Amino acid sequence: MLSAELVIGVSLAYILFLFAIAYYADWKQEKGESIISNPHVYSLSIAVYATTWTFYGSVGKAATTGLDFLLVYLGPTLTAFSWWFLLRKIVRIAKENNITSIADFISSRYGKSEWLGALVTIIIMIGITPYLAVQLKAVSTTFDIICGYPRMQLPFMHYTSPLPMETSFYLALILSVFGVIFGARHLVATERHAGLVAAIAVESIVKLFTFLSVGVFVTYFLFNGFTDIFSRLDRNTLFSLTSFGQSGQIGYPTWFATLYLSMGAIILLPRQFHILVIENTDEEHIKEAMWRFPVYMFLINLFVVPIAMGGIILTGGNAGADYFVLTVPMKSGHPWLSLLAFLGGFSAAAGMVMVESVAVSTMFLNHLVMPVVVRLKARAWFPKLLINMKRLGIFLVVFLGYIYQHIIGETYILVHIGLISFAAVAQFGPALIGGLYWRRGNRAGAMTGITLGFLAWFYTLLLPSLVKAGWWQTDIIERGPFGITFLKPTALFGLTGFDIWSHSLFWSLFLNIGVYLICSIMLHQDEKEREQVRKFVDVFEAPKEEVPWETKRLTKPVTVMQFVNLMSKFIGEKLAHEAISNYMGNRNIDESGGVSEFELPKLKRFVEKTIAGSVGAAAAGAIVESYLSDLGSRMESVYDVFGTVRASLEESRESLSMRLTASQIMSRTLDLQIIMDDLLELLRKEFGFDLTLIRLINEEGKLTIMSYKGVSIKPLTENERIPEIDTYLGDAYLSNEVRFINDTQHMTKPRSKELLEHEGIKSFAHIPVARVGEPPAGVLSVYSRSIIGLFTEPLIKLLESLAGQLAQAVAIATEMEAKERERKDKEKALLERAKVVKEMEIAKEIQMSLLPLAPPEIRGVQLEGRCISAAHVGGDYFDYIPRDENSVDIVIADVSGHSIGAALIMSEARTVLRAEAIMTTGAMEIVKSLNQRLYDDLSRAELFITMFYAKYNADTRLLTYANAGHNRPLLIRKGEESCQELDAEGLILGVKYDPEYEEKSVILWKGDTVLFYTDGITEAESEAEEQFGTERLCKTICTNRELFPGEIMDAVLAEVSRFSNGKPLRDDVSMVVLKIV
Amino acid sequence: MPLKSQLIDRICKMLKHLCLNESWIILFVLGIIMTNFPFLAIFNKHETVSGIPLLFLYLMIGWPISIFVIYLFNKAVGMCEDENEKGEKKVRR
Repeated sequence: MLSAELVIGVSLAYILFLFAIAYYADWKQEKGESIISNPHVYSLSIAVYATTWTFYGSVGKAATTGLDFLLVYLGPTLTAFSWWFLLRKIVRIAKENNITSIADFISSRYGKSEWLGALVTIIIMIGITPYLAVQLKAVSTTFDIICGYPRMQLPFMHYTSPLPMETSFYLALILSVFGVIFGARHLVATERHAGLVAAIAVESIVKLFTFLSVGVFVTYFLFNGFTDIFSRLDRNTLFSLTSFGQSGQIGYPTWFATLYLSMGAIILLPRQFHILVIENTDEEHIKEAMWRFPVYMFLINLFVVPIAMGGIILTGGNAGADYFVLTVPMKSGHPWLSLLAFLGGFSAAAGMVMVESVAVSTMFLNHLVMPVVVRLKARAWFPKLLINMKRLGIFLVVFLGYIYQHIIGETYILVHIGLISFAAVAQFGPALIGGLYWRRGNRAGAMTGITLGFLAWFYTLLLPSLVKAGWWQTDIIERGPFGITFLKPTALFGLTGFDIWSHSLFWSLFLNIGVYLICSIMLHQDEKEREQVRKFVDVFEAPKEEVPWETKRLTKPVTVMQFVNLMSKFIGEKLAHEAISNYMGNRNIDESGGVSEFELPKLKRFVEKTIAGSVGAAAAGAIVESYLSDLGSRMESVYDVFGTVRASLEESRESLSMRLTASQIMSRTLDLQIIMDDLLELLRKEFGFDLTLIRLINEEGKLTIMSYKGVSIKPLTENERIPEIDTYLGDAYLSNEVRFINDTQHMTKPRSKELLEHEGIKSFAHIPVARVGEPPAGVLSVYSRSIIGLFTEPLIKLLESLAGQLAQAVAIATEMEAKERERKDKEKALLERAKVVKEMEIAKEIQMSLLPLAPPEIRGVQLEGRCISAAHVGGDYFDYIPRDENSVDIVIADVSGHSIGAALIMSEARTVLRAEAIMTTGAMEIVKSLNQRLYDDLSRAELFITMFYAKYNADTRLLTYANAGHNRPLLIRKGEESCQELDAEGLILGVKYDPEYEEKSVILWKGDTVLFYTDGITEAESEAEEQFGTERLCKTICTNRELFPGEIMDAVLAEVSRFSNGKPLRDDVSMVVLKIV
Repeated sequence: MPLKSQLIDRICKMLKHLCLNESWIILFVLGIIMTNFPFLAIFNKHETVSGIPLLFLYLMIGWPISIFVIYLFNKAVGMCEDENEKGEKKVRR
């Protein structure tokens, strides 16, 4: 016997040790290093499956009914074959959807149903709480045994502890505190508890080690191995314990029922689901756990039969077989080994109670408390409420177990509660497995299936157990309710020949699966369910077949901050900000710093998922929904503009055909107007817009309506608009980005709001007509008066693409227009010029006609003049004014410039001169008077005239002359080889009103030649830009002095032409040659 | 090629078949059959083999064997994943 103090002391030390382990794991986890994230810890933690039911109960069972105890562990080994596809799928789904428990998993699969979550939770609380009671009971009983309380010899079922309150109450307290500290210390975004898992793993090692110690001790120290034990046992007992199927033994059906129940239980029990799925840190660990966990099961069961049979041999029977693990070492004088075994049993109980209470309290909170809480308005103190509710939940679950065992005490139920619990959770199997692989499986099927299965379980298994335990004095088992034998709980509908387990399993699963299948086939899934089905069934295909377009929209945009505030209320501010900044990392952010409208549904789902990690999917869904509805927003399906549901196609057929038609419109003609008209008509008809219109920017920078189709809405279809940022149209044009409003009630630009609401527009979009990388040429606008939420991502993309094509057409049309204009301008200019040329020709003719046709006949004089104008009209002028038979006046002048103006001035000068010449006789007077008369006109026209005026009298042979700044004429005396310049002082005409002019005269002799010329000759340039000059001119005349005046002029022109090497004359050329003969 | 490495090669090839989901399901079903009537009836006899009851012996030997098969599965999955990775790398190149 051991003293109670010692046992309590060792137990407390052990508990402290576990605390230390758990605390260390949590501390490491916070530092980012996980000591639990490896297949060893994962496999060991799964061994939480082995409870006191295994630790003590297996031996008890082996000693009373035989090998059927093994089935509870063989089942999981078989299931392990399926883990790589089944469990991995569950784990993947759970991670992607932030699943918190098995209730959450099932309710999420079936459209995040709150009712389903609550149903599963209630079944678990009814089915599992007694299971907790067994654990508490076992520890307190073993405590009493090991401390030597007198009635320890009594078998488990009939035993009542003298101090039940003390032991199990404090145990429940300690385990609850442990559960709270490592399961609900603070709010977390996911239900992961590193400390808890670490403690469980250590406990699993202790369980295995202690059990193996006892096993080895019994088998090899008390006996000589397996064969020794078998040979010592009498053969009847031996074979009755190692075979089955005969009377008094369990039958085949029981065997199978137990096997199937345990196959399901390994995943379906809340604590198993929690450890296997929720606490899984890496899918790869499953692969290792698949064989490590069965090895653990094998090892812990290896010595069960030897201990059981050893116990029978030593005690002479199977009374108290449940505690052989403790009593055999004790009896053989090794109390320390008993203490070790007690610690092992304690570990088994503690591990189970802690994980179960955390898992069940999570469900309790998320599926029973939260549905009520979410009906309340979210408040700042919510995080505190939630965490405390969870802590309370853990206490509640553990103490429910305590109260249960306290009230029910020793009954039949406690012994069999393990299997009864297995049978309860087996009801989740069809809905869970079906939900993973069968798309049609629906909520109605799951709800009714689980409910019926549960009722069948209650009626055929729990009720008979309660009756057997003497809880209810009734003959319902023997005679059926109200004496209807047809409805006997153990032979329902007359099904006899089965034991209670297989009978219950058959009926509950038959009804469960049957109803699940029928309802799923007969009834439809709603939209929300279908969305969840995709997340579950297609979890491995998800990345490949992701829906390319958002099929949901929020009726009223919600800002990111509003979402963050909501999250803060459930997971605390710090976690909320962390979550959102992770999420926002590489998302599209729109102009106001929020997410784009198409991104909102994704953000909403993210928020839901994040909150789900704390409160479960169903509650999270309800929370976000109610929050949105408070804001006046909700999720709805997008208006399916193409009329078909696009699940996985890149682009719908309709969208492609639209593009094709649009391309045809654009390629059919180059006429932009037709293209625009046809395109608008196409859009209007195809999508049912009330108005479609195209505005293009004009030269003044105004958006001008080029075409519209549909109803004429005056303010929209009439005005020219200057693009301004405070309208959506202007914003779209200026920012070169699509601006669309899916619901005009939620517009933010007041100017547009007023206008569009007045016109009854429900939704509209402005798409800039722009080629890639170029500023927009205009805006394509579409308006709808009937449909809210018309603009979906694919529609906007399509419109953008059409606007892009249109921009191309506009660019081509603009280019063509520009070319056409240029061509016309050129043509016009050519015509213009031709006209001018023609007029110039006429002017030239007129001007030429102003020059004397032939020189007057003067005796002894040869006279000839010539004018070659460089441009069509020029400013050169010469004239002869015959005075009488013997005298003639010769004038040569040059108006500066070669314009029409010069020609006009020339003709004016001629007229004035002719008139003046009649009245005045002296050369000087004529020039002077001419200057005065022309002065005003010349200075107004900013022109000048150089003029040389000469009078020759054949009788006197006197040449009298005056010069107004003109080139000095050359006089070549007969026989001389040089030229004399005729010079007289005088200012150019038009500079001063009354300047002085010199008059000179010279006698000409027979054979003398005088050349009057304009600067066109002397200033003619050679290619080397050398001027012809007077010297060359003089030389030319000297050489040709014998010729007639006309020939002399020809010679001069030829010489000039040769000098300038064919270059056209830059200036007019005029010459008059006077030859005395 | 030495006989031993040939043998290992052959075993490796056979192991790869275990990667298939079908193999898992077949063995899973096989496991259920082998722990069920009528298969179990073969061993459900009052006999001992070298002092150990037949059914007990069957279960205690069959169980580790099935665990070993799962262990082989685990190795096979590892091998297949390696190969897939190599294949993916090749494709990428």
